[in-house]
Amino acid sequence: MENEPGKIRNIGISAHIDSGKTTLTERILFYTKRIHAIHDVKGKDGVGATMDSMELEKERGITIASAATFCKYKGYEINIIDTPGHVDFTIEVERSLRVLDGAILVLCSVGGVQSQSITVDQQMKRYNVPCIAFINKCDRSGANPFRVIEQLKEKLGHNALAMQIPVGLEENLEGVVDLVSMQAIYFDGDNGEIVRTEDIPDHLQQQATEYREAMIDTASLFSDELTEAILEEEEITEELIISAVRKGTLSRELTPVLMGSAYKNKGVQPLLDAVTRLLPCPEDIENKALDMDNNECTVILENDFEKPVVALAFKLEDGSYGQLTYIRVYQGIVSKGTSVVNVRTGRKIKIGRVVRMHADQMEDIDAIPAGYIGALFGIDCASGDTFAGMGIHLSMTSIFVPNPVISLSIIPTDNKSQINMSKALGRFTKEDPTFKTHFDEETNETIIEGMGELHLEVYVERMRREYSADVTTGKPRVAYRETITKRAEFNYTHKKQTGGAGQFGRIAGYIEPVSDEEFIFENNIKGGAIPTQFIPACEKSFLNCLKKGPKLEFPVTGIKIVLEDGASHAVDSSDKAFQAAARGAFLEGYAKAGSVIHEPIMKVVVETPTEFQGAVMKLLSQRRGMIVGSQDEGLQCVIEAEVPLADMFGYSTVLRSSTQGKAQFTMEFLSYRQVPQSIAEELVEKFLK
Amino acid sequence: MPTENFKLRNPLKVFGYNDEDILPKGGIGAVLARAGIGKTSFLVQIAITAMHGNKNVLHVSLDDSVKKISIWYKEVYHHISEQYGIQEENRNWERILPHRFILTLKVDGFSIPRLEERLNDLTEQDIFSPDIILIDGYPFEEQPEETLADLKRIADKYSARIWFTVRTHRHEDTGPDDIPVWFKHIESLFDVIIQLKPDGKKIHVRNLSKDALQSKKSLLFLDPSTMLLKESK
Repeated sequence: MENEPGKIRNIGISAHIDSGKTTLTERILFYTKRIHAIHDVKGKDGVGATMDSMELEKERGITIASAATFCKYKGYEINIIDTPGHVDFTIEVERSLRVLDGAILVLCSVGGVQSQSITVDQQMKRYNVPCIAFINKCDRSGANPFRVIEQLKEKLGHNALAMQIPVGLEENLEGVVDLVSMQAIYFDGDNGEIVRTEDIPDHLQQQATEYREAMIDTASLFSDELTEAILEEEEITEELIISAVRKGTLSRELTPVLMGSAYKNKGVQPLLDAVTRLLPCPEDIENKALDMDNNECTVILENDFEKPVVALAFKLEDGSYGQLTYIRVYQGIVSKGTSVVNVRTGRKIKIGRVVRMHADQMEDIDAIPAGYIGALFGIDCASGDTFAGMGIHLSMTSIFVPNPVISLSIIPTDNKSQINMSKALGRFTKEDPTFKTHFDEETNETIIEGMGELHLEVYVERMRREYSADVTTGKPRVAYRETITKRAEFNYTHKKQTGGAGQFGRIAGYIEPVSDEEFIFENNIKGGAIPTQFIPACEKSFLNCLKKGPKLEFPVTGIKIVLEDGASHAVDSSDKAFQAAARGAFLEGYAKAGSVIHEPIMKVVVETPTEFQGAVMKLLSQRRGMIVGSQDEGLQCVIEAEVPLADMFGYSTVLRSSTQGKAQFTMEFLSYRQVPQSIAEELVEKFLK
Repeated sequence: MPTENFKLRNPLKVFGYNDEDILPKGGIGAVLARAGIGKTSFLVQIAITAMHGNKNVLHVSLDDSVKKISIWYKEVYHHISEQYGIQEENRNWERILPHRFILTLKVDGFSIPRLEERLNDLTEQDIFSPDIILIDGYPFEEQPEETLADLKRIADKYSARIWFTVRTHRHEDTGPDDIPVWFKHIESLFDVIIQLKPDGKKIHVRNLSKDALQSKKSLLFLDPSTMLLKESK
């Protein structure tokens, strides 16, 4: 591993499912000589693309886990994270974006900017990742890269700038015109590995000149030298243009657009050139950590090998080589034989084997310096943990983790499956913070929780395939919640004097709804009506009551409990007595506080050909959906709705069948809202049964 | 202030209208102003007032995305809540939201038949049946008479009230009351015409309708900090 941070590129390839990003990655690895044969995603040869190492992904043609790999191109070291494309796995995408310095946003030249691209783009914005766009599939019928550039501007608000124009389109796609060098680029050889540059064909000359002028015009906003050269009518060199475009790209004010067809081996090498010329190196990016010793103050990390180590574990994998922890080093150097501290647990870790991964092949190395991505063996940690050098206590900013909205019971069919299931669950919860599991003692079932139906389905499938854990699943269950709508007072006395030691405690106060917090406890007792030592017992008991609401046993949230008065007895009062009093007080107040049930509402975005617009809207309304709006975009339209998760089960099948498979949708958690009266009654009925 | 039974008063009533809706069923109203003066904000206030009264509003936009329009509504609603001291803002917002439907169409792909087709989709399938239709951003000056005739027909057919924005330009020839000359020809087809006119730091809201009382013609203005309608003191 060479230590030249200026020549490192840590990039992600983010895109809509099916826009061909895995194929693009394959081609990149082929041209950088990391692999020696090309396989397709759903390969007829049964091998599958190199980055899709999980069997399930191969079968479904989607990427779930982000495998990290690296390659070398013209003296640059490029680390690539292949990010998943489905919204249910966004934690994977978000984690990848956290460790990237730049990204390639792959768009389909026919489908254009789709709802998933919007989600991915928002994530890139959140982590401030500079990107370049690659308009793929220009060989497909209906390809129109210029329309996609317009969509990038309109739908995603990017200042999209064409750096190329295509030579031919659809089945006649031959190559691209590079507007910087003003040369046509063609790709010869069996796999497009021979790059041939020629003069621009006559019929494209005028178009190329126009687009070049527009490109220079936009780029000049980022460089005084370029503006000067234009005004002075001096020669505009390639370096001037590239440096201006790079500046705009790094500040996310400009998105350079390249195009081609990965599948037809066209346009990939110029894309790699753009990665090295336009995307940032680790030194261009400011990374921050939190100082745990200093009230979590922000500390700027330096891309310096001499400084103490700060590294982030962003992915865990349990493969044929044992547990593998992918890390990104932000400061210092992680070398074999040295020790670091896991900041979360405080445990000292000795670094054993250090490797660099290429999908499911690997290479042993001695160290991972700042700016690089690599993997460690035999490290016990969870995904998202920070490793720091001895003596410093810095933690990388925590990754935003949403709460699960759906749960499923799983029951192993035999003893062996039970053991394997436990192993699998242990691994998955470490890998994915949005995937949670617990054991319900009342029903004797293991419950798994996650972000959507598909999210849980994939884990159940992985349990079966990777861990041979044969499990049966129950019906998916929605994570309902209970809350109150009005203030109610309580004044409860717990008194027990029959046999043994007596029990006495009186608690008075009120409960009221709060919108921003899950639970607030306030002690306003004056003059020691309840002795201070019993207050924690009261709070603990209230918290226990919230776990299972009195109405339907769903967790209670959005509640404030205030203690105002009470009474105690010198002999009979105890923690136990006040816990019982608090339970009674809670039930008394809750019964008067207008309790309601809340359910998770999902934001659903459906893209459909216009002819199915009516049908799609009807389907959504039937599912208690509230349609926010419909955006007409010529042949396609995008319908946005807010639908209760409880009514979204099986939606993908119904949507497919009513739109001849031409519509697609994304779904993400939006908020919790009150369940309508009729549905609440149904829930109560079910509960009573 | 409790929200369930609370009705927002239509600020345009200060112009002396008896009906809360100002426009009659099947009526057409126009909001005239130059770009950036607050036409959309004005329409959104009309919409929110109507939604509060359980009326369905179809917001048709030719310029902006669904997301952007949703943000407009949220902002204006937030200001209104503050002004009227509405408690439980979020809950109340959730209550009125089903009364709104946003439809965005590209200007070049927009036509009255297309709008009608969408309306049919919505009403026939019982998805949404508008009481008020707001059309924002239509380049109206290009074919005013044909469009108006069609809009009248749609308003009648759905028993709806239609409001739309009319963008005026600095360079246009105007009459004595600042109305573009081209608009003068069709003025009589409107039931209500409102003009937003900046004057120093204030934006005056003037009622140019023929039957409006002279004394009540300019009793409103848009507060530039919130873009909410306020009565002149």
